[in-house]
Amino acid sequence: MSRSYTCVRVKGTDMACGSTSLWAGETTWFCCGSAWGPCGSTGTGACGTCQSNAHQAAWPNASQACFNITRPDLCGESIARRGCGSVMNVKHQCSGATVCVTVSDCGPRTKSFCGESTCCNGACRTNRVIDLTPAAFSAIGNLSSGKLPVYIYE
Amino acid sequence: MSHDHESAGRGRLDRRRFLTTAALGGATIVGATALGGIDADAAFAAPMPSLDPAISKSAFAEGRITAINGSVLEVAGSYGDQHLIQLTNATSVWKLRPTTAEEIKVGDGLYARGVDMPDGTIAADAVWVNIVNLFCTVQGIAKDRLHLTHGNNHAVVGRIVAETTTASYLGGALTSDLSRVRIGQSAQVLGAWRPDDDTVDIARVTVGH
Repeated sequence: MSRSYTCVRVKGTDMACGSTSLWAGETTWFCCGSAWGPCGSTGTGACGTCQSNAHQAAWPNASQACFNITRPDLCGESIARRGCGSVMNVKHQCSGATVCVTVSDCGPRTKSFCGESTCCNGACRTNRVIDLTPAAFSAIGNLSSGKLPVYIYE
Repeated sequence: MSHDHESAGRGRLDRRRFLTTAALGGATIVGATALGGIDADAAFAAPMPSLDPAISKSAFAEGRITAINGSVLEVAGSYGDQHLIQLTNATSVWKLRPTTAEEIKVGDGLYARGVDMPDGTIAADAVWVNIVNLFCTVQGIAKDRLHLTHGNNHAVVGRIVAETTTASYLGGALTSDLSRVRIGQSAQVLGAWRPDDDTVDIARVTVGH
């Protein structure tokens, strides 16, 4: 299962991403930081560093306060705590496209969409377990899809 | 495994060469291509990203369009940066739905993915115009709109667009029936922001718990 990935240093990612399996599920995308339209009111997230144009992510267990909001456990997801600045590789389940991201916010609101699945090539991933910025999400898929099935490594 | 890597590498080269060639005006593109089907529906429906995301080589830009010069979009980034986005015959355009470059207007916001060109432009493989994906709470329901809040209780009006807006309930299949949307529900709204009135045309609302 473990594979090695090559990750370049990009804005918002300062550390090397690893290849140890961490989790799997759905990813959605969100906007943060300076932005146009409704995104202009979203702010820089729980870590204070979030930017839509950087390869960043929101993690549902970035802190206890975060976990109390997202409650992935209510969907049966025992997601480990990974705080602000943690880095992880997010890989599209089917295409294998991978992006290295830095945790910069809290999210997604897993408990609000328990049981939701996203599939490709007949294989599905269930529950929202990570949110990506537009820059990160578009590196592995199309924004208009809204969600993707992914594997997560650290 | 090595075959996969080899294929991926060859595909990446082909795609990059194709997009670069298209950006330079050297290609008239008809039918299926090395990027996959180039008609917009096929491009956005494909499970594979239409551009092989060799992370170190793909480019990303966001911002507001300040001018359109032929097939080049001048974009002011949200952090004071400037971008020139080159549209090509191979560029997929989304604005509420898969569409064409003619629908892009000055003042629109966008996210673009593509390839850095030697002249400093980005040859776009895909542009998503005014796209938003907001986690909201439903505050009110009218015949042609949803009143929503997102983020720190910011109000946003989501417009229901005939023959376009669809709903998914708890991850179920998409339907045009919005009658099961209830006040107080969480909802993920994928849509297109309207700069003129600051509302959002809803492409898809995913209703949660």
